Amino acid sequence: MLNWLQKMKNMFNKKNKTYTLEDLDLSEIKAYVKDLKVEQKLHKNITVINELLGESYDLSIREFKLAGGDIRGIIVFLSGMIESRALERLFHSLEIEIREVKKSTNKIKAAYKKGDLLEYLSQNILNNESLVKTNDFKEVFTDLTSGGSAVFLDGINEVLLCETRGYAVRSLEEPNNEIVIRGPREGFVENLYTNTSLIRKRLKIPNLWLEEMEIGDLSQSKVVIAYIKGLASEELLNEVKDRLKKIDIDTVLESNIVQEYLTDSWLSPFPQIIQSERPDRAVSCLVEGKVVILVENTPFVLMLPATLNMFLQAPDDYNDTFIVSSLIRLLRYFTFLVSIFLPGLYIAIANYNPELLPVSFLLRIASTREGVPFPLIVESLLMEGVFEILREAGLRLPMAIGSALSIVGALVLGEAAINAGLVSPPMVIVVAITAIASFTVPNYSMGLAARILRFGFLFLGGLLGMFGIQFGILLVLIHLCSLRSFGQPYFQPFAPLIWQDLKDTLIRAPWWSLRKRPVLMGGREPERQPPGQKPEKPSRIINSEEKDDG
Amino acid sequence: MMDKTRINNRQMGFMLFIMRSTIIIAFLPVLTSADALQDAWASAFIILISSLVITAAVAGLSQRFPQQTIVDYSQKLCGNWLGKLLGLIFLWLFLQMSVIEVRIYGEVITTNFMTRTPLTFVVGIIILSSAICVYQGIEILGRMADVLFIIFLLMVIIVLILPLTTFEGTNLQPVLARGWGPVIRGSLVPIALIAQVWVIGVLTPNLLKPERVVYTSLLAIGFSLFTLILIVVVVVGVLGAFEGSRAVFPLFYMIRSIEISEFLQRTELLIIFAWGMGIFISASTYLYAGAVSVARFFGLKSYSSLVWPMSISWILLTTTGFESMFEVHKFLMSEIYVPYGMTILLGPLILLWLVYGLRKIGKEKEDNK
Repeated sequence: MLNWLQKMKNMFNKKNKTYTLEDLDLSEIKAYVKDLKVEQKLHKNITVINELLGESYDLSIREFKLAGGDIRGIIVFLSGMIESRALERLFHSLEIEIREVKKSTNKIKAAYKKGDLLEYLSQNILNNESLVKTNDFKEVFTDLTSGGSAVFLDGINEVLLCETRGYAVRSLEEPNNEIVIRGPREGFVENLYTNTSLIRKRLKIPNLWLEEMEIGDLSQSKVVIAYIKGLASEELLNEVKDRLKKIDIDTVLESNIVQEYLTDSWLSPFPQIIQSERPDRAVSCLVEGKVVILVENTPFVLMLPATLNMFLQAPDDYNDTFIVSSLIRLLRYFTFLVSIFLPGLYIAIANYNPELLPVSFLLRIASTREGVPFPLIVESLLMEGVFEILREAGLRLPMAIGSALSIVGALVLGEAAINAGLVSPPMVIVVAITAIASFTVPNYSMGLAARILRFGFLFLGGLLGMFGIQFGILLVLIHLCSLRSFGQPYFQPFAPLIWQDLKDTLIRAPWWSLRKRPVLMGGREPERQPPGQKPEKPSRIINSEEKDDG
Repeated sequence: MMDKTRINNRQMGFMLFIMRSTIIIAFLPVLTSADALQDAWASAFIILISSLVITAAVAGLSQRFPQQTIVDYSQKLCGNWLGKLLGLIFLWLFLQMSVIEVRIYGEVITTNFMTRTPLTFVVGIIILSSAICVYQGIEILGRMADVLFIIFLLMVIIVLILPLTTFEGTNLQPVLARGWGPVIRGSLVPIALIAQVWVIGVLTPNLLKPERVVYTSLLAIGFSLFTLILIVVVVVGVLGAFEGSRAVFPLFYMIRSIEISEFLQRTELLIIFAWGMGIFISASTYLYAGAVSVARFFGLKSYSSLVWPMSISWILLTTTGFESMFEVHKFLMSEIYVPYGMTILLGPLILLWLVYGLRKIGKEKEDNK
């Protein structure tokens, strides 16, 4: 009885289901489009397009006639997404056929009768970059929304998709976040093809493979996996592809969205994939056997696997003499540590082990702290907090108001807080040094990690003194040692210790001595350059006065 | 086999170096446990030689069973009951060594730096961080050894170089004035302390090249004892033999006396820091060895579930095992520790080699038949 009722109800429901577009949800529309095929009748196709794209103002449907007006056709495109010259060319070549070349009119008619007119058009008449024949409406829409034009012909249940893409793109500029003194000035832009061309022109080999994937139900963003075939390890590639294939989301607006799905340990403060706007950086990763992931509509490319020391390398390191570069590297490592430890260390020493400081220094600190109402840890949290607020405000402010902020920050908060006796001057110095040190970290994400850790060490130092700092260091080291980025130890070449790779970490050895690629990166083609290229003094005397005499 | 993660031989070498150095450098039993006085360096030399022999014996045994932990092969060699008994002895040994080391460190911290912090807290933090490390696997422990070895080495270098300004060569004279007696007596406790090398028996199956375990361990132990000789010479040279032998921690006493300029006082904090890192490695290695031994003892597949309960009990034992620092000190005096340590070290060693030798001879006879 119940079963029968159920059946009745289902029948009733089915009868009532009318497929007006208003009733369908997004996924239902998607399922509907998926099975939609191009019809023979032109007006039916036009109805479908109008129905599915709605009353979009940028939808353009232009009619044309072939073979002296016998064959009707339309070109569909979205204005703004296409390059108008490409479209002009398309029209032009179609019209030439109609008016001038009588000979081909017959051919067109013959082809039309045979039903392979589209084939004929694409082979003999149209000259667009890519011409694809399809009868699937889903493909038609994908092509239209990414800047293509679709040629429909009456009586043919297929459609020709012509490449006419051309929308506004930003011109090449120097990336703001990774400024170099010496080095190439061009950075990635939002356009994927521009980006891949920037990589291609730096690696003129066929082995640079760019594999395309599509991520995002709605955004249908193109994601390109770039690598050098034969250099990147196949295991790594498979892993990257597997993880990318698993991603199922609706939109990819920035590469970080992909990054968060690819990260090994999502709870870690350390970024495990490095991002950059610089093509030279990307290429330098590619030639080490790493993989670069480019995402449509963002200038930030992802490079993986990443190691900790990659985040502390700046492009300048490789463009200056190695002595200077090495010293600056060392400085950068030092400031990185300062930006993490200094406030915590200051509190630990001043609170628990003041005997570590020389007496005169200690007296100085003690006298300035006289009258400060807060305990040291509250004082430092206060100042660090103020600095974080200033920093965030400075980031969001329009340029024009920026100077106001610096006045408020420096004068009102700094000077007045000291005068009012709320904060001691040494604390302000400590916070300021930490802040300046934190700006030397070349990678923004790594700077963020240092910021988080700094607060951790602040608490540990405040609660447990030097012992707490030591405990914190142990924990961070354990974490770093256990971190992996795509199976690669994150803390290499420090742990596991790889002597040979240390040449390009704390210091940057001269180019001729960087003979080997990183050991753990797949181990294919371990040699970067043959030995014996160390420059030496010439054996013959060139341009000397003695020679002139002779 | 248990977990298949491997560590480099170098990493095990670093671990052994740090383990051997932490206890013996901080405590300098060579100086404090007997009356060798200015001839402590000669004691250290005897320790070096005998430690190398013992290490070679222990590592040699492991090299013959490269895929098995010591708990496994002692059962294989001596049969079920005796083997299990030996396993218990090793287990006890790892626990005791760790308790002594962590306790000494905790005492140093609580008496010198954080006088109002309870000992349990300091000990707890050290053992808990070791437990976190061990829980993540031997690989992580090996990498930690890589990183911390550098810090540790820096400490040793500082200890050796900074005091040179106040080094008095005459403190080392007269050489061997009272004969070899005191010298040998001074070397007994540190030799007995080498019982810690039994961890080689647990670490070997996880090595990348287990066939080179003897070489690696000899290198590590040799270097650590070579540093011991240097440090003993420096301590005696700076402090003088009498003062050095009376101090509880001669090394810190010496470092504390260094005052290079107005600004460079109290450098012992750096030493404590590096030493703490060393204690961490030692405690982790013992904890790992202990957890693996227990797992093998009961035939468990994985040791990781044992780490947490074990670490809790280790914390308790470390804080309650000894009344005070002086008890630890007394325990490590030659009258008590030497007979005890030698038994626990040489007993299993001789037994295992004996059984191994007999079995081999028996097997050869069988083959000949």
